Amino acid sequence: MSNHVTEWLNAFYDGELKGKRLQQVEEHLAACEVCQHELDALQSLSGMLQEVRVPEFPSSERFATQVNLLLPQKRTPTPGNRLFEVGWWMIPVGLLAVWVFISTATLLGDAMSTAKNFGILDNTTASFISAPSETVVVTPTLGQFGMLQGNSLQWAETTENLTRSWFPQIVLQASVALLYLTWFAVWWTRHTRQISEPLLEG
Amino acid sequence: MVVVLEVSETEVIRSAQSGDRNAFSELVRIHARGVFNVVYRMCGDALIAEDAAQETFIRAWQNLSSYRPQTPLRNWLYRIAFNAGMDMLRKEKRILPNAIEDLNLTDGRPGLESQVSQQERTQLVQKAILSLPDASRAVLILREYEELSYQDISSTLDIPVGTVMSRLNYARKLLKEKLEQKLSQVEAEYV
Repeated sequence: MSNHVTEWLNAFYDGELKGKRLQQVEEHLAACEVCQHELDALQSLSGMLQEVRVPEFPSSERFATQVNLLLPQKRTPTPGNRLFEVGWWMIPVGLLAVWVFISTATLLGDAMSTAKNFGILDNTTASFISAPSETVVVTPTLGQFGMLQGNSLQWAETTENLTRSWFPQIVLQASVALLYLTWFAVWWTRHTRQISEPLLEG
Repeated sequence: MVVVLEVSETEVIRSAQSGDRNAFSELVRIHARGVFNVVYRMCGDALIAEDAAQETFIRAWQNLSSYRPQTPLRNWLYRIAFNAGMDMLRKEKRILPNAIEDLNLTDGRPGLESQVSQQERTQLVQKAILSLPDASRAVLILREYEELSYQDISSTLDIPVGTVMSRLNYARKLLKEKLEQKLSQVEAEYV
C-alpha cells in the first residue's frame, strides 16, 4: 500500500482533521494495515502517558491563601514610575505643541511677507516679524560671474527662493514627525510586549 | 451554563484587574490545580512545581493589566507557568535527565516477573517525557494531559498550528522509540 497517511495520523488521532483530509485518512486506514498499526501504537502510547499521575496537590483554598500572602501589597505605581508615566505621555503633547508653533510661525511669516509685498505693512513693522529679506544670495552672485543668464538665472532664483523659505520648515516638520513616530513605535512595543517573552523556542 | 461561567470569570478577572485581591484569590482557586499539573508534568518535581505555581500566580497578578480577554485565562496562565517552571528549574539547578539511559529498573530481582511492573513502567514513561526537548514536551503536555486543541496550544505557546503539529509528531515519535527500546531491554533482563 503506497501513499501512507503517517504525517496526518497524529492530527487524526487528536480529532483535528476535517473534510476531505479526514475522509482520505479514514479510507486509507480501512485498507492499510501499516497505518492502522501506527494508529494503534499512538493509542497505546497515549494510554501509557495517562498512567503517569501527578502527586497530591495541597487544597486550592490553602494554596490561594498562601499566594495571597505572597502577592505584592500594592500594584499601584511608585511616585518615580508615576512621574515617568506623566513625562512619557507629555512627549507627544510637547511634540504637538512644537508642531503647532512651527506651523503658526510659518503661516504668520508668510502672511507678513505677502502683506509687505503688497505694501500693506511698512518695512519697520514687517521687520519685527519677519527676517530681513535676503532671500536670494547665491544665484545673483553666479549671475554676476556670468555662470547663469536669462531664463536659467530666473529659474535658479525662484528655486533658491523656494528652497530658502521652505527647506527649514520641511526639515523641522520632518524632525517633529520623526520624533513622534519614534515615540509611537516605542509605545507600540511597550503596549504589545506583555509578560510573554518568547516561550520555549527550539 | 458554560456561558454563565465564562461571564462570571470575566467579571472576576475585571475585578482582579482593578486591584481586588479577593477576586484574584478566586481565580487562583479556580486555576491552581491546572497550573500545578502543567508545571509538574514539565519539571517532574512536586516541590519545584508548587513553587513554580506560586510564582506563576505572582507574575500573573503583577501583569494582570496586560491580560486581554481574547485569550482564555487558563491558556494565559499556562504560558506563564511554563516559563516560571523552566526558570525555577534553572534557579534550583536541578537537571532533567537528557536521556532515560540512566534509569536502572533492575533491582536484583531477575526473573521475579516476566513483565515490567506497572510502577516501573510509569517511572520509565515519566523519565522519557522529561527527557524530551522543552518545546516538544510543552506541546505534548498540553495535548495529552490538558487536552487542549491544536489552536489553543498554538495560542498558549504563541507558535503556529503547523509547529504544534510538527512538535507533537516529533515528541510522540521520540517517546515511542525510547520506550520501545527501553521496555524491550528491561523485559529481556527479567526473562
